[in-house]
Amino acid sequence: MKSLIIGEVSNGSLSSGTLEIISKLNSEGVDFSVITIGSEQDPQIGSDAFENTYLQLNPDELSLSVVADEINEVINTNSVELVLASSTYVGRDIVGFLSVDQNSSPVSNVIDFTIDNSSLTTTNSIDGGESEYITKITSNVKILIIRPKSFEPADIELNTNFTSKTIDKNELTSPVHDIFIEEKTGPQLEDSKIVISAGRGMVDVENLKLIEDLATKLNAAIGGTRAIVDAGWMPYSQQVGQTGKTVKPDVYIACGISGATQHQVGMKDSKYIIAINKDEEAPIFQIADLGVVGDTLSVIPKLVENL
Amino acid sequence: MKIAVCAKQIPDPANAVSYNNGKIARPEEQVLDDTDRYGIEVALQLKEKFDAEVTVISMGKLGTQKGIQQALQMGADKALVIEDESLENANALMTSNVLSGIAKIAEADIVIFGTESSDGYSGVVPQQVSRYMNLPCISYVKGIDIDEETVLTRQTITGSEKVVMPAKCVISVTASGVEPRYPNFKDIMAAKSKVVEPVEISSIEFNAEQNQEFIEIKSVSSDKSGEKHVDEGDAFNLIIEKLKEIKAI
Repeated sequence: MKSLIIGEVSNGSLSSGTLEIISKLNSEGVDFSVITIGSEQDPQIGSDAFENTYLQLNPDELSLSVVADEINEVINTNSVELVLASSTYVGRDIVGFLSVDQNSSPVSNVIDFTIDNSSLTTTNSIDGGESEYITKITSNVKILIIRPKSFEPADIELNTNFTSKTIDKNELTSPVHDIFIEEKTGPQLEDSKIVISAGRGMVDVENLKLIEDLATKLNAAIGGTRAIVDAGWMPYSQQVGQTGKTVKPDVYIACGISGATQHQVGMKDSKYIIAINKDEEAPIFQIADLGVVGDTLSVIPKLVENL
Repeated sequence: MKIAVCAKQIPDPANAVSYNNGKIARPEEQVLDDTDRYGIEVALQLKEKFDAEVTVISMGKLGTQKGIQQALQMGADKALVIEDESLENANALMTSNVLSGIAKIAEADIVIFGTESSDGYSGVVPQQVSRYMNLPCISYVKGIDIDEETVLTRQTITGSEKVVMPAKCVISVTASGVEPRYPNFKDIMAAKSKVVEPVEISSIEFNAEQNQEFIEIKSVSSDKSGEKHVDEGDAFNLIIEKLKEIKAI
């Protein structure tokens, strides 16, 4: 099945989501090429094992619709049958545009897929990960949006063996201004070995100081539920769950989180889950390896003190 | 200025989503998807500033129309709705194909969505609609600042960026940045006399098709509940011991 990966650049390399898709296609023995989208100069995204074209964006212009035009042409010229992108802001935009051009509805939130000759079966996680929804894709061109952390990232050497093309503006692009890069300090959610997350049970935004203290002690990254992100306690970039990030740390400590299925989707595959919650019926306890029924506001300070 | 804003009716999220032969089971009474409230709020802020007309657009089983009413109660002017057997369990592309047709009937300059529905969460419909309508797509808007020009703040993977809203465009709004309003008694009464107009499928140009064949839903029960202890003031010790045991510290 002739495949095309829509890749992305992150910190001068291929994003982890891109590497995860590469590893899956390698293990399925599928030949593929990559089109990588980014705005960084001279990234290290090439390989001798596959063809990669870098579509370089001007960061001052919102021009993903032009990128989609380019990719659409590649799909048509090369009779690509399978297109894969990561479930990111960029990936979803591009797939949305391409799916109209190709008249093929994409499958979102795919966590696994199998290829058998020209047949493709996809698996989605539903019910907060308690069930898997399995379908067969019947269109000639098949477009998948892959959930991050569904596969182990490929461990490959990257070099500068790729071709580049710059993306211009057109009547559908818009100028961008006031680009703000969030300062990233300390361990990051996606790759930290320990993640501590806060929910409504922290009661007040002031109490997040406790979470920060604990995170410092454990060298952990901090996440939160949609409820507290919507409440403005934390930036969206720290949201864990269905509409936020997916994390898979060695240890996940859920503090004052009831464990709605939308949250569980983003963290249930953590290796060891510790939950602290007052409500002993909280659904989070169903997936916790260690559950503490108690007040997070009194447990955390003692933890910090004794660590 | 004419604005179309999408409102999806979904099963009450307080209950787990249930499936019937691979399709989401939809009761007669469905509610407004919470994520759409953010889009509606942006539409209403634009309406207040530019005296715009706001049309709610919706596709799917109508039932008691509770969700549509909730959107009108927030302050939208009218609704265009479509319910057709052939659209049952429609995929994302069919949905956006139909919604862009309705947005055209509403003569919308600006079409607004939440980023993804809470039941299907494909997360691509706003982008698809922009492509069908050949309009700029300003996705993941998390803030709006209306002055002489309207400035939209977009969420990006590294932070945020600002874009001046084009005269005609499609916008998707994230669940942060704006505070959706709650209707008061007067708003609720006023909504009762607003027009909910059905759209016939034959009045829409339509070529998207189903492309997923349902195979099965497999239970992968994750009930791995381990130990559970009631804190009697010393639970911290237990946590520290466990962290040591699994060599996390």
